[in-house]
Amino acid sequence: MYRTLVLVMRPVCCHSIRSRSCLHKAAFAHRRPFSFCVPAALVLQRRAYSLDSLSSGPGRPTLGSSSQQSHTERTSPSTALTHRNLSAVALQGQSRQLCQYDFLDLGEVDENVRRAQSGKKKSHLIVDPHLAKLVTQHLEPEDAKCVILECNPGPGVLTRSLLNAGAQRVVALEGDKHFLHDLQELEGHLSGQLEVVHCDFFRMDPIGKGNMKPPVTSSEKLFTDLGISETSWTDDIPVKVVGILAPHQERSMLLKMVYALFERLSVYRYGRIELNLFISEMEYLKLMARPGNMLNYRAFSVLWQMACDIELLHKEPRESFVMSKPSKSSKKGKIANDHMCLVRLRPRADLFSGGLTPSNASTLLMMVKQCLARRKVKLIDRLNQWSPDSGSKLLSEVGMPDDILTGYVYPEEYLQLFQLMDKSQQFTQSWLYEEILENTQREGWG
Amino acid sequence: MEKLTWEKKNKLKQQQHLQKKCSGTVKEKPAPKSQSSKSISKMLPGTTHKTISTTAKKTTPLTQTSKKKKTLSDQIRAAVYPVATSAAATVKVVKPRTVSEEKKKDLKNQHLREVGRIQTDGDADGKAKELERTLVQKVDQWTSSGMSELLHDGDGEANACGDFQQSVRSYLEACVFTENIDRAHRFLLSQHRMRGRRKLLNTDVYNIMMRLWAKKGMLHQIGRMFILLEEAGLKPNPRSYCAALECMGRNPNCSPNVITRCLSRMKEDGISVDDLFNQSVFRQDERDMVLKAVHTIQPDYLPGLNPNTSESYTSLVRDLYTQRADHQYPKLDFTQAELQERFQRQLSVEQACTVTIDSVETAKPVTENMTKMREQLTKHRAQWRTILLQALRESKMILVNTNTKDYRLNLYPYLCLLEDKEYVEIMIQSVANLPPSGESLRLLAADLGNRVFTKYAVRQKHQNHIVEKLANIYNTYTELLAKDTKEFNILPREKWCNLEMEQSSGPMLQGGELSWPHIITLELGTHLVDMMVKNLKINSDILNPSHERKLIPILYHMYTFRSTRQIGFIKPHPILIQMQQEATETKLTFDSYVMPMLCPPVPWTSVKFGAYLLTPTKLMRSVDGAVQHEELLEKCQNLHAVMDSLNQLGSCAWRINKPLLDIIISIFNDRGSDKLDIPPPLSEAPKIPQFNPHDHTYTPSEKAELRKDVVNAKRKCSEMHSLRMNALYQLSIANHIRDDVFWFPHNMDFRGRTYPCPPYFNHLGSDVTRAILVFAEGKPLGPKGLDWLKIHLVNLTGLKKRSSQEGRLEYANSIMEDILDSADNPLNGKKWWMNADEPWQALACCKEIASAVRSPDPTKFISNFPVHQDGSCNGLQHYAALGRDVIGATSVNLMPCDVPQDVYSGVAQQVEELRAHDAERGLKVAQVLEGFINRKVVKQTVMTVVYGVTRYGGRLQIEKRLKEIDEFPKDHVWDASQYLVRMVFGALKEMFTGTREIQDWLTESARLISKSGHTVEWVTPLGLPIIQPYHRARTQVIKSTMQCINLQINYDAKERPDTVKQKNAFPPNFIHSLDSTHMMLTALHCYSAGLTFVSVHDCFWTHALTVDTMNKICREQFVALHSQPILEELSNFLLKKYCTGPITEAKKKKYQEYKTLMQLLAKVPETGEFDLERVKESTYFFS
Repeated sequence: MYRTLVLVMRPVCCHSIRSRSCLHKAAFAHRRPFSFCVPAALVLQRRAYSLDSLSSGPGRPTLGSSSQQSHTERTSPSTALTHRNLSAVALQGQSRQLCQYDFLDLGEVDENVRRAQSGKKKSHLIVDPHLAKLVTQHLEPEDAKCVILECNPGPGVLTRSLLNAGAQRVVALEGDKHFLHDLQELEGHLSGQLEVVHCDFFRMDPIGKGNMKPPVTSSEKLFTDLGISETSWTDDIPVKVVGILAPHQERSMLLKMVYALFERLSVYRYGRIELNLFISEMEYLKLMARPGNMLNYRAFSVLWQMACDIELLHKEPRESFVMSKPSKSSKKGKIANDHMCLVRLRPRADLFSGGLTPSNASTLLMMVKQCLARRKVKLIDRLNQWSPDSGSKLLSEVGMPDDILTGYVYPEEYLQLFQLMDKSQQFTQSWLYEEILENTQREGWG
Repeated sequence: MEKLTWEKKNKLKQQQHLQKKCSGTVKEKPAPKSQSSKSISKMLPGTTHKTISTTAKKTTPLTQTSKKKKTLSDQIRAAVYPVATSAAATVKVVKPRTVSEEKKKDLKNQHLREVGRIQTDGDADGKAKELERTLVQKVDQWTSSGMSELLHDGDGEANACGDFQQSVRSYLEACVFTENIDRAHRFLLSQHRMRGRRKLLNTDVYNIMMRLWAKKGMLHQIGRMFILLEEAGLKPNPRSYCAALECMGRNPNCSPNVITRCLSRMKEDGISVDDLFNQSVFRQDERDMVLKAVHTIQPDYLPGLNPNTSESYTSLVRDLYTQRADHQYPKLDFTQAELQERFQRQLSVEQACTVTIDSVETAKPVTENMTKMREQLTKHRAQWRTILLQALRESKMILVNTNTKDYRLNLYPYLCLLEDKEYVEIMIQSVANLPPSGESLRLLAADLGNRVFTKYAVRQKHQNHIVEKLANIYNTYTELLAKDTKEFNILPREKWCNLEMEQSSGPMLQGGELSWPHIITLELGTHLVDMMVKNLKINSDILNPSHERKLIPILYHMYTFRSTRQIGFIKPHPILIQMQQEATETKLTFDSYVMPMLCPPVPWTSVKFGAYLLTPTKLMRSVDGAVQHEELLEKCQNLHAVMDSLNQLGSCAWRINKPLLDIIISIFNDRGSDKLDIPPPLSEAPKIPQFNPHDHTYTPSEKAELRKDVVNAKRKCSEMHSLRMNALYQLSIANHIRDDVFWFPHNMDFRGRTYPCPPYFNHLGSDVTRAILVFAEGKPLGPKGLDWLKIHLVNLTGLKKRSSQEGRLEYANSIMEDILDSADNPLNGKKWWMNADEPWQALACCKEIASAVRSPDPTKFISNFPVHQDGSCNGLQHYAALGRDVIGATSVNLMPCDVPQDVYSGVAQQVEELRAHDAERGLKVAQVLEGFINRKVVKQTVMTVVYGVTRYGGRLQIEKRLKEIDEFPKDHVWDASQYLVRMVFGALKEMFTGTREIQDWLTESARLISKSGHTVEWVTPLGLPIIQPYHRARTQVIKSTMQCINLQINYDAKERPDTVKQKNAFPPNFIHSLDSTHMMLTALHCYSAGLTFVSVHDCFWTHALTVDTMNKICREQFVALHSQPILEELSNFLLKKYCTGPITEAKKKKYQEYKTLMQLLAKVPETGEFDLERVKESTYFFS
């Protein structure tokens, strides 16, 4: 059945190349809110090389109805990549179920914007196909072993782009019910590469103890449902997360995630989860601030730099994104050059090799937070506060001058200091060990 | 361009034409050019025509740039506008004409709409105009009625540099106090030399210096100051001349010529000699010196007495003040000599500033470990004192020299105000009081700073020789209160004022002491905390010899994190906590104002003077640093009624109910009891789970759970500790004064609700503290007294809420056996009292009933017991009365009924009906809730809805209730509470339609007022001015070596108002201001009827004998209060306040908003049919 369909379609595709202008018009005429029509221009470049690797696929159920099957029956990694590129163009007036080999339409910007803005919750969304493709390239979706969690895809532009690029398994975590339907429809048209879950990644594992209702879930439930099991820290990256942090939650999310990372709680229970997040440039500057930059060098920069390889993948002006539920009053010029930065936060495999464990990590967190609450104080004063008269000895062991300020100490040096402290008798008697980094507003996140 | 000019011409023609045709009455020069609009607006003073014409013209320049389509419509609007205002009818004439000019059909439609809109605009405009006209008339009336001082305040400029001025003045005062003339002089000169700062100074800043020179008799220096004043472009005020004359008075050989010159120059400045004496504050012998100087020129001069004759009382209390023939003010059961002796005792307490008393834990047996720990602590304290003393001296040495730039404020003078030892004592005291979980640096610093200030204020009074004068006046004042003197027909405040007037020589009692700006207090406090953290140390092996010995600090500074903010905390070292807990020391040191007063409080006679003898007290409490309330009060001329009611509440003498206190202390020292609300000691606290972070056997999630447990256990411990300490303080204070009679001075919050000043122990407290307080004065029960006691007891149990008085009495009689048993065997008997809502008060009442019943003649039994009468849902009562809402009034007992109406049950019932309906329709939540809806679930929400609880808060309240029900399925708590809160709100809206309308009107008014950039202000029917202190937050950073403190200041009147808070808080605040007015009125009338009366907001207390009289007064005053046109007056006040200022016609939008505001304010909600007089017959109104 599959072969026949392909055979039927081939001439159509060829035809479409020839008569792109005609098709283009057709696509416009045939506008539905959820249209799979492809603007011809987009398809052309891809097709040029994809057509030749055409026929090497096992027989697969192609109809949307049968893709309701359970997730366990999944396309094998080797084939999907090739097949994804075998996209077809829906014919004018022809209404049929989409098969997995179809090249998914990323939509027109205007239309995407309209859909994105109809969202009920406030968040930034990707609407521009070019941007989506760019992000897709950075995510290296062809890595077959890796699951991609996409947070709040909204109109699903990036989702489609990821699938087009051959991602084996994309999980769309959508917190806004409004977008759920369309995403689920897409899920229905595919054969398991996409799973849609009503879940807000950024509200996962909440503070309260009450019953959780979608979109709020626990990471445990989500990962069990998805069938993702715990992996060892030194294993390969099991999951990549891609998402956009809303400006009001940036800092608290970054803090929450880094706490979880060090103690291997929440999603980090399942291994080295890689985050690919769009954050504001201002936050990025803080995240990446180096010692000596007294304004931006903060506790969370130290912790993230200590824990992860951080890479700036891409910078994109904020205007490229669309605010769902747009608000009238935009805050005026926080930073002149208002960009969103796509940052990859890939946890280091050797983080827990030198004496740091998820158990004593809470003390490290406490230490770093106390040290960097102010950057222009002497490190020795802090150390002496925890264990009187021990500071100078400790500093000389690490080879740091006595008068160094906390804002001049590198993340690796903090880690080294901590490892030394943790071994010493005097420090473990200190109140630092009795204090628990408690945050009334984020209970359970240590 | 051509087109544009054509359009312009055409429009002008059209306009002129229209005006000619339609508005013969509007005599207005048609503007030939659009630019001229400005000149017109200048020419015509604030009339309606002006506004309208300019608005019309303002649109012109706009239209020129826009597209043609828009221009046309605008043009028409511009043309129609002035006409529309003159008469709505004329618009109709215009309409066909404009339309006929149009050709395009779609455009035509648009214009039809446009014109239609204009027409309604025109109508509205007509109304607005009408309103403005009436307003102008009203303003004339008001200004003549003398209410104006509250309206047009020029606070803009005065406020702008207020904070800085206050800092400078308090700095100078501090220098003056320590006689550091040199520093003060250098400082003022440096401020004066910097142009930027000079602008911020005012005459009073210079006066401080003049005063100082006057004391030294240095006339030439004062002359220099006058020159500086002139340089700064300031005018000398009466106080400046006072200083000059004082200096001349001090110089025995000052030539009369000099004085004459001074007096004549004063005259030139428009200041009379009388002004000097009326508008200045005199300290020490200043007044006599000034008088001496004046006498050299005018030997016969007598200062004209204060023209303090603004005795215009509002109609509510006019009779009370003017017809006193049948008033009988109560006397105290003390002789004058006794009262004078008590004054001396109180004075010495306040002079010491702190009181050290025995804790009630003294009764516990002393263990060996305890003795050891106590010794250790004492030993260490001695060391700490020495170390701190040294550190303080060192830091002063550093500070005195480091300040190279004189213009900067320096803490040095503030560290010289007290003896070094006193600072050290304050610091040591705060170490002892630090809770084990630590205290945020900001609070700790504020606490320390305030203590220094209080001590300084007391010392300042000494220095100004106020104490002697105070003693003189107080001793004479006692004749008003004592039992062995004649009857007086005047109120305490009047007596006090008269006495002050008689003894006018010497210093004035209100010495004009400045309070410090909040920042100074904090800076000083932080400095002291820093000193403590750096210097206080202890050996690390003191408890555990196995530890290596080294000196470790007993306090450490760290940060805690809330969301993304970090908060500096000072925490005691675990070793210190352990020592303190094991030592359980038996002495407690308090600030003197924490204790009740031992003599009747000083009556409030002005905003700044009253309550305690020496300790500075605010008439109106406010957030630290908020000054707008005080400014408003000072502007207000007649606060007599308010002050008199505060004085009345403070005049009530109290005693301890000793048998009750002993029972409570015994339980407290045993193991406490959660059920009886006696906090157990920390030994009863859950153990903090020990968990070793290095233990690898735990999985991360188990560890997270464990950590959560630790955090919870810690939190629980610190909660328990603070409850326990609070109870310890209350009981210890009570125990300390167990044989005494004492008084609670009162002040009020910014809405006029009254509170006793002593913070821990007072009659507003918990059931426990209320139970151990009785009136010092006893009165026979009289014929109905015993019945009242019984009814009171039943009320305290919380049973029989829906029974009539007779029913309650019957019930009480039926359980006399239980009552007597409770009284006789409280802890070993049947313990009936323990199940009451308010067990301790119930027990006290049982004992009182038992004694009365067993006395030979219960009617003659002398009872000291206070009987309470509670308003039933007081907030709704006021709303119902305001709206004259029949249904609402009935459900909150304004209408006489045979049995008390219970609004909570009513709401519960209605909610239940709706629920049943929903359940039938298959709604899951409704089905789950079956059988769970009752009075208790909805009560708190209903009660607080009046006070503006939001759905969010309401849901939390209901959630709490539902969680308390064990049988209720926990999974549904959230849904169910969400559902219920919706139902309750709905039910309330239906039952209290009038309430909702008024609430909405108030909210909307506040919203518009706030949006227009103003703060909501109003005046209670008793004349108390109220202002809402909610503004947008601004951050202020206080830098210190330890950390920077970020202050979020959201009360700064210079910032724009916080609209959300302003609007949400207005209805509840307004209702609170009314209930406080009702309470004050009742208090005043009770006083003149000779009753003992105190209040806990809407719960009134008196002797059993006088309950009936109080009830009568309470109802009469409620009727009297609501017979005033309260909402109309509010509307008038707001209109006058916010709608008579110069209108800025700059923007049409602004004007539109202004108009809407005016219309809204003028549109007082309509009232219903309820006959207010019925309240007088209602038994259950307060019961």
